Amino acid sequence: MFVNKSVSSFPSVTEIIFKNINKNYLKVILLNIVLLFSGVLTGLFLIDFFNLFEEVHNYMYLIYITYTVVFIIITLLFFVGFKKRKFAVREKDISYKRGIFFKKLTTVPFSRIQHIEVDEALFSRFFKLASLSVYTAGDSSDDLVIKGITKKEALEIKEFISQKINE
Amino acid sequence: MNNTFDFSKFSHQSKKGILVIYGNLLYKFFRVSWILLFLIFKDFSKFTDQKLIYIYLGIGLTLIFILIRGYLLFKNFQFKIEKNHFVLKQGVFKKTNTSISFDRIQNINFKQNIIQQIINVHEVNIETAGSNKTEISIKALSFEKAKALKSQLTSSKAVLEKETEKVVEKPFLKINPLELLKISLTENHIQSLLIFVALLIGLFQQLQQVFKGLLKDNLIADYIKESSNSFHQSIFVLIVFVILLVFVAILSSFVRVFLFHFNLTVFVKDEAFEIYQGLLTKKSFILKKDKIQNITISTNPIKRILGISFITFKQAVSGKVNQKKEKLIRIVGCKKEQVEKVKKILFNFSDVDLLEKKYAHFHLKTRMYFRTSIFLLFINIAFYFMFTDLKIFLSNFLLVPFFIFFINLIYKKRFYKMSDDILLVGAGSIETHFTYLPFFKVQNIKMKQSFFQERNKVVDLVFQTASGKIKLPCIEEKEAIKIYDYTLFKVETSKNSWM
Repeated sequence: MFVNKSVSSFPSVTEIIFKNINKNYLKVILLNIVLLFSGVLTGLFLIDFFNLFEEVHNYMYLIYITYTVVFIIITLLFFVGFKKRKFAVREKDISYKRGIFFKKLTTVPFSRIQHIEVDEALFSRFFKLASLSVYTAGDSSDDLVIKGITKKEALEIKEFISQKINE
Repeated sequence: MNNTFDFSKFSHQSKKGILVIYGNLLYKFFRVSWILLFLIFKDFSKFTDQKLIYIYLGIGLTLIFILIRGYLLFKNFQFKIEKNHFVLKQGVFKKTNTSISFDRIQNINFKQNIIQQIINVHEVNIETAGSNKTEISIKALSFEKAKALKSQLTSSKAVLEKETEKVVEKPFLKINPLELLKISLTENHIQSLLIFVALLIGLFQQLQQVFKGLLKDNLIADYIKESSNSFHQSIFVLIVFVILLVFVAILSSFVRVFLFHFNLTVFVKDEAFEIYQGLLTKKSFILKKDKIQNITISTNPIKRILGISFITFKQAVSGKVNQKKEKLIRIVGCKKEQVEKVKKILFNFSDVDLLEKKYAHFHLKTRMYFRTSIFLLFINIAFYFMFTDLKIFLSNFLLVPFFIFFINLIYKKRFYKMSDDILLVGAGSIETHFTYLPFFKVQNIKMKQSFFQERNKVVDLVFQTASGKIKLPCIEEKEAIKIYDYTLFKVETSKNSWM
């Protein structure tokens, strides 16, 4: 029975030393947020300037305030959340965790990996960053993706896992 | 007997196959164009004779065209066996030549739809590992030829075994119509009703699109609005409506069960289940032990009294899993000893059933109460805006106890047990489901913890398998970490392949 097994005989997730993702990725995240919000701001500005909706015109300042608050909150959330994004590669599996209020930890054993992808998005490329996606036979949307590690590291991990799978 | 058919030269399907192909093409044509046909025939009486002639001519020509196409398809469909490869030539204008090696063939299934049953031919589907494109369907073969083909495609030593086995073989499970009636009456009628309604909505939307442009303002929508207005007014109509709904629900589950599971017969062969079932479309398929990812044994209160339950097998699908829907196979109407036997065949049971149940943390209940309160709040807001009569809020007196009852029921039925190799998860509300998952079938594992769960030191565990997720909500953090580690340990040290 399970209870009779000495638990300490196999490694525990609590003992893993997790690694932070690359600091430069925070810049990528901030760039993305700024880009999105400046788009929205332009829209708001146009509405204000051309007086598109009569009814809201008097409350425009309220909308600007809300906008600023949302912007600050989201930036803060990503800022804090960034520090929570961590990953670890062990001898037989790869783990990733994230989340401030909703924490999530995923582990994929190498023996179940179907294929691995290394992608570079536009902004990430400026900082020589990449994202590593690991696919299993399970629901593909729910597999493991580590964003914001250096391309070199991503390729190294990929190589490491491929080797382990072929063993 | 297997040598009576020579597959070394190219051979056609059974001649009757033209009829099957013709029927198939007609059905496809009708499915695409039924709205058009409907529009033409709705003003049938207004047509002049001359127009009618054109219409008949058009229909005649279409039918002949489809017949010619069917014939050509038949004529150009040829297959043979050559050097351990199955070779198929097909295509009228664009010819394709497919060759599949025997090792890549995963399954060979027989199927019979209603036309095929009438003219007594079998459809043979060859499933392969790999992309969907290489899936092959031979529409019409006589039973002997189909069987011969199957035995030649599967390796030669299996042929011998089958011959001897056939004689002594007794079905593991056979459901006669009377038993099937019992099963259908005890089905989850609400689910059947929902499926039925979903079907109706699909049809309704299709109709509505047509009516929108072509008839005076949404005829059907008006009709429904009218009838729903009167339904507010009279309680009598409401009662009739409820009775009707119950009737429709029972009828739809009755029809569903009879259509899919008629004459359900299951054979057990050492490493696989062979299942035959279906009324209009008879199907036979083989469930290989290795491909089964997990099983769920379900029952409900009435079924328990009758001593029956149904087993749902979740199978990993060969080839590109992401593109195809997971395959569910249900065996209805299992008796207790049959359930036990299935369990014994599939997993080496170290008596996981006998272990002590471990229940979910109390937080699960709190969470459900929290979520339902939000849901109720929304309902009440909706009430406020939708109805002028404030008496509608009295319905909360009905809703609240209803929800409390269900939350307690769901909470009570949530449990898990684990043995060395198997995780058993219990769930359900009115129905009860027991899911058995061998640890080595797990693909990846997740641990989730929300802000509220953190304070109670509980987490959700999600096991991802090749055929869907299995959740273990709100268990104590310490215990969860143990399970997490143990699962990974099991997966990483397991020598068995998950498929």
